[in-house]
Amino acid sequence: MSTISTPVEKAPATTRLVGRPDVNRKRMARLGWAFSAPALIIIAAVTIFPILYSVAMSLSNVTVTGSGISLNGFTWANYSLVLQNSTWHYALGFTVIYTFITVVVELILGTMIALVLERLAAGRGWMMALLLLPWSMITVINAELWGYIYEGTYGVATYLFGVQNILGTSTPAIIGLMIADIWKTTPFVAIIVLAGLVMLPGDIYEAAEVDGSSGWSTFWRITVPLLRPTLALAVLFRVLQAFGLFDLPFVLTSGGPGTSTTSLAILGYDAMFKNLAFGPGAAVAVTTALLVLLGCLISLRTFKVQVGKEGM
Amino acid sequence: MRRRKRAGWHRVINGINIATLVVVIFVAAPLYWLIASSFKTPSAMGAYPPQLFPNPISTANYHQAFVQYDFWIYFRNSLIVTLVATALVLIFGTLAGYALARTPMRGKFSTMVTLLMISLFPAIAVIAPLYTLLKDLGWLNSYQALIIPYTAFNLPFAIWILRNYMLGIPKEMEETGRIDGAGPLRTIWSIVLPMALPGVFTAGIFCFTACWTEFLMALTFNIANNYKTIPVGIATFGTAMEVPYGTIFAASVVAVVPIGILVFIFRKFVISGLTSGAVKG
Repeated sequence: MSTISTPVEKAPATTRLVGRPDVNRKRMARLGWAFSAPALIIIAAVTIFPILYSVAMSLSNVTVTGSGISLNGFTWANYSLVLQNSTWHYALGFTVIYTFITVVVELILGTMIALVLERLAAGRGWMMALLLLPWSMITVINAELWGYIYEGTYGVATYLFGVQNILGTSTPAIIGLMIADIWKTTPFVAIIVLAGLVMLPGDIYEAAEVDGSSGWSTFWRITVPLLRPTLALAVLFRVLQAFGLFDLPFVLTSGGPGTSTTSLAILGYDAMFKNLAFGPGAAVAVTTALLVLLGCLISLRTFKVQVGKEGM
Repeated sequence: MRRRKRAGWHRVINGINIATLVVVIFVAAPLYWLIASSFKTPSAMGAYPPQLFPNPISTANYHQAFVQYDFWIYFRNSLIVTLVATALVLIFGTLAGYALARTPMRGKFSTMVTLLMISLFPAIAVIAPLYTLLKDLGWLNSYQALIIPYTAFNLPFAIWILRNYMLGIPKEMEETGRIDGAGPLRTIWSIVLPMALPGVFTAGIFCFTACWTEFLMALTFNIANNYKTIPVGIATFGTAMEVPYGTIFAASVVAVVPIGILVFIFRKFVISGLTSGAVKG
């Protein structure tokens, strides 16, 4: 799309406003900042400033006072406390494994669904609309719905599969949580992959067919490499979301039984707002944010895609 | 298209249809369960074996949600917060998107990358400072306590989408407008905006959905009954001892309907938003 505008940008400024081009350019640049200012100011005030404050908080002795909190002096204590805490170790492991398993399963299932829908002769639009429903659903509602399905005495899962007390034992609770998540987000992955599939050039497939390539090897040698940017995007979105996992376990399992479904975000939230331990809580939050960034960089690197270079 | 040329179609088409049916059941069964259960009587909610069809059909849960549990207050709050935040995101996002697409301002690349980084940050990283800030301002339990953060968190994506759309609009259009003496705001309103409308819809529906479903900030900042949004209201129905699933599901159906209709109407734009990153590489 951006290619349309490129020749125009390079054209001599004869069609611009009357007056000297450089003066005009300066005026337009000033206009640009004026137009961006409201958005950039509100973003900076609500995101950049609090992120920096969180970092400061995690490196300070925080005391809770009647009117709020105050930061008294630098310390590494919050980080050493967190890094040596076994609950944090568990939450970190749980979040990483949870993210890995759900994203892999969603990617496989989503790709399978997309491959099916791509071959669907009629009603693809309706299928897309159906797939968007779980995507747009409030996660809290999803959690309550699965809570009812897993209910220990009369839940439909208990009835169908004979598993008693799903949410009361760690491993079934973790699997139950993953299923609820996979149900809600697989359709999202399927839509992204389907849109990527539809855009693949058809003639490559004809060539592969002429060469006698089997369906399976065509899939691995042609479809998957061509889909790489699309898959990278889906993985990126999903890793981000899964790593910040909060709503689902908060409502469905309250992080339990015990601490078995306590994610990093739940641990940070509990530290700050239940135990009022703002220093360690901020340390948990900041390390989580850093891990998210790291995860993004790794998944982008894995798929060899650079986001955002184009058109600038 | 390409696959239509291959042989053996009837068999595969049948296989595809069966697979599609499996997908439909996978997606629709839990949704059916949500809707069907919302129409069960309180005693049928806990029936064992579970009732596949609500019998008798009852609206007691809906009555309960609206009369006993003030659900309409949560609905109103969600609507106000979501609509105002979406409007602000679209106004500020359009202006910033235009500036980043069209004006020769410096630092465009670093601005865009910073926006991208910000949209990656998990909300848990900002929640405590925002809480203390809102507390100092006396804004806990207010509409602005959510409207301002929601606007800020949804702006980066909206700016990206709108900027990418505006890059695709031929520049000559605006220059004709400017020669005719229209100011920059006027140009955006009457020339750029109509052509960038798909981008506006995409940014709008994403922002609407994100605000409508957001939980962590709403739970932390607005816990007073008069300012709870739908997710917080639903999560705090009942007591620790008893979860009133019937009431929760009735409220959930009412909460899912507006967003479902919106997403259905604007599905083209949702899909283009989900995939624009892929298109853009």
